[in-house]
Order: sequence, then structure tokens, then C-alpha cells
Amino acid sequence: MLKIDGMSVSYGPVQALRDVSLEVPRGEVTAVIGANGAGKSTLMRTLAGLVRPAAGSATLDGHSLTGRKPEDVVRMGVSLVPEGRSTVPELTVDENLRLGGMWRSKAERASTHAEVYDMFPVLGDRRSMRADTLSGGERQQLAIGRALMSAPECLLLDEPSLGLAPLIVTQILELVKRLAEESNLAVLLVEQNAVTALRVAHSAVVLNLGQVVMSGSAADIASHEELRHAYLGY
Amino acid sequence: MTQLIDYILGGAGSGMIIALMALALVLTWRATRVVNFAQVGQAMFTTFIALSLQTLTGSWWVALLGALVAGAVVGVVVQYLVLRPVKRMDTSGAIIATFGVLIALQAAAGMIWGGDSQAYPQPFNNTALTVFGREWPISAYDLVVIGFGVALVIGLTLLFTRTNLGLAMRATAFNPEVARLSGVRVSRTLTIGWALAGIVGALAGVLVAPVSGISPNSFDILLVFAFTAAVIGGLDSLIGAVSVGIGTGLILSVVSGYSDSSNAPVVALILLALNLALKPEGIFGHNSARSV
Repeated sequence: MLKIDGMSVSYGPVQALRDVSLEVPRGEVTAVIGANGAGKSTLMRTLAGLVRPAAGSATLDGHSLTGRKPEDVVRMGVSLVPEGRSTVPELTVDENLRLGGMWRSKAERASTHAEVYDMFPVLGDRRSMRADTLSGGERQQLAIGRALMSAPECLLLDEPSLGLAPLIVTQILELVKRLAEESNLAVLLVEQNAVTALRVAHSAVVLNLGQVVMSGSAADIASHEELRHAYLGY
Repeated sequence: MTQLIDYILGGAGSGMIIALMALALVLTWRATRVVNFAQVGQAMFTTFIALSLQTLTGSWWVALLGALVAGAVVGVVVQYLVLRPVKRMDTSGAIIATFGVLIALQAAAGMIWGGDSQAYPQPFNNTALTVFGREWPISAYDLVVIGFGVALVIGLTLLFTRTNLGLAMRATAFNPEVARLSGVRVSRTLTIGWALAGIVGALAGVLVAPVSGISPNSFDILLVFAFTAAVIGGLDSLIGAVSVGIGTGLILSVVSGYSDSSNAPVVALILLALNLALKPEGIFGHNSARSV
């Protein structure tokens, strides 16, 4: 389980996160929803070690992640798929995948590599093509595949739906849900698109101006009308 | 016609040396997005170290090996002591700082080894090759230089395409954030890039020294040619640096042959200006805009 306790982050005088606490259990998708500027990406980048928190802590199965570098956080089993379908565009599909989890043994990596191609057949078809020739949906699959190459126990997904066609969004999120359930991953999913996120998530947290304003089961939050009007705008 | 061919062939050895130095510039550029103007200074310094080793041991090969090791060490030291602290503040500051390193290295070399040009020995006789009853403008030593260059390019190609380290270096060059998130130890990878560039530069230094002699300033003109080749080649491209580097050597040899060798730097600058006006991303570059 990923556990975040009292996390606060400041960019100079601007406080991006205030005392955020939440739990992401294994085998489930936990969604973080909220408007632009609510602090969702900051939360993800802090968990991955790219941003240092001013206060608070994050632990995975009791091991502290706080204050570690990104390259160490990923070794501890927390893998981030950053916003914007982050791949290395100049490298081929295969090279992008080989990049993930280099510290693992050759045999382990080879088996994960094969699993990723099973999971995303389209990547297998395009393995020797450069990543920048892929479509948006294919690149998002590649970004997720790269993150899976390090055999994570916790997957952080930052706005995977951004700029993708609705049908592809549904496919990718369904796959994420299956991953959580079948591989027993703790998945933290950040989404601006609340409707889509709540459809696949087990539970959810609503962030507003860096603070948690509500948390509960996805169904509860989806049916909470005042909350929807106030923070989610639908 | 025979004369033209002779002039072209005569540029092959110096072209390979320009290519190697351009390659060193590209390696540091790819690693840290800084053009390292101190690269020739580092090469000059390590060549002096090699000359001292040569005097001490009498072996050309031991001296070469010493230069390569020193090249890696000096590269790492320059990156650690100068580039890292300065770059944290400002990239253009880092580029200026490399000029400072160049001047410091030249001053230090002058104090240690003196300012006069000294001869550097060759592993073989530098006589022209006679094949088919004709004397060619290529010497046995030119062939050694070309051989070293080809071996190095093959080695680097294998490193970059076949190994995990090479993949990590390429990913770090193109997208350091994704590299870090994938678990690549980025700062270590950058340091290895500088060490590698130092080795390549050191090799170029030892190879050019028998021709140019060695003094604190004797490689300055090589910087002009190598920088030209690296920029025209696209700065990001290893193939670009090597092929344009060799091409520059051939063109300059023809220019020197038909006019005078003092015209070569002017021609290099004209080539650079034309390139920047017509195809600023370089022949082998694929990114339309990069801030320097």
C-alpha cells in the first residue's frame, strides 16, 4: 500500500499542496480528481521524487520514499508515467522499453519485455519504429509499458487521457484497472476528466487548491451532486 | 586532375583528426548541452602528459595509453569542478566557463612545460607511401591515424547502439526526466559522457601532435575546424561530426594546396556561416530548434 501522510509542497511563496493524506491500496485504482491547478501533478511529481516536499511523508509498504531521488524511488517499486505521454521520441519503441528497469537482471527484463508486448500488441508491431512516429494512443501505451518495465508495485499515472480520443481513453483506463486487479498493483490515477476516472476507479480523492476536500468510494463521489457542481464542474 | 586527387588524399589524415575532435565536442554537447571550448585545451594538456611519459618510458604506446587515461580524468575533473557548479546557475555561463578552463589549462601547461613548440615522435616513419611505382600523398602515419579513427567510431557506435550504458546516455541526452524516472543515474551518465569526450579528445591530441608539434596554443586552430565540423554536422550527430569532420579536412587540404594553408581558417568560417544561413540545424540534425 502507498500511504501519503500530511504532505505539503511549496514553490517559493506558492503553496501547491497542503497537508494531503491519502492511501492507495494494492489491487485498486485510486483516482485523484480536481480542476487545473488543484495540485494533482505536483502530488505525482513529489511522490516520484522530482519535487521535494516541505513537510509530510510517503511510504510504500512501510518503506519511506520521502527525500529520495527519482532513480531510487523507481527502484523501490514506484513508477511514474508523467503527463504528456512521456517517451524518448528519438529512440525506437524497443529502446524506450529497454530503458525501463535497467538495474534488473537480463532474464527478468526479458520476461517483462515480452509481457508488455503481450499487453500492448501494437507496440510489438512497431518495435523498431521511432517513438515520435506513433499515434497519441500508441505513445501513451508505450509510456505505460516503459513504466511497467521496472516491475513496479505502485503505478502513478498523470493524466493518461489528455488529448486522446474517448474510445482510446476507455481502452487504456480499462487496461489500467485490469493491471491493478490482476497484478495486484497500487494505482494512483490523476485525471482532470472526472467522469472517466470515476468509472474505473475503486475510490477517489478530490483535490482543490492543494487540499483534499473529499475522499471516499468512487461511487459515492460520483453521486455527490453538490461536490460535482462545486469542484468538478458538471 | 592528379594534383586534385593528391590534394584530396592529403587531407584524409588531418580530416580524421578534425573528425575526432568534433566527435569529442558532440559527446559533451549530447551529454550536457554545453559546447566545451576547453576540449582542445584538455587535449593539449593530456598530450603534454603523453610527451612526458614518452620521454620517461620511450614507448609511444605507453604514452598514448597515459594520454587516454589522463583525458578521462581531466574531463571528469573539469565537469565536476567547473561545469556542475556553474551550470546550476546558467547554461550560457557554463559555455563561457569552458573558455576560462581553456585559458587556465594553457597557462598551466606553459608554466609546467614551457611555451615553445616541442616535437612529438611518431610510432612509424612519416614517409610517403609508394604503391604502383608512384609516391602518394598519404603516409604510413596517415593510415595509422585513419585506422585509430575508424576503430574509435566503430567502438562508439557499438557502445551507443548495443549496450545499456549507451542507451542510457542517449536517453539522458534526449529526455533526462524520462531517463531518471526509468531509473537511469543521470548525473553519473553525464560524467561518463565527459570522460568519454576527454578520451576521444586526448586521442586526437596525440595523433595530431607529430604533425603540428605541441605547445600550449598549438591546437587552437584545431578547435576552429572541429567546431565548424561539429556544428555543420548537427551537434547532436556522431555520424555528422565524423563525416563532416573528414570532409572539412579534405576541403581544407584542397584549399591549402591550390592557394595557401593560411586561407584554411577563412574557408572554415565561410562554410560555418553558409551552414548557419542555409541549414542552421546542421546536415545531420533533426531538431529544428535548440537553444545554445
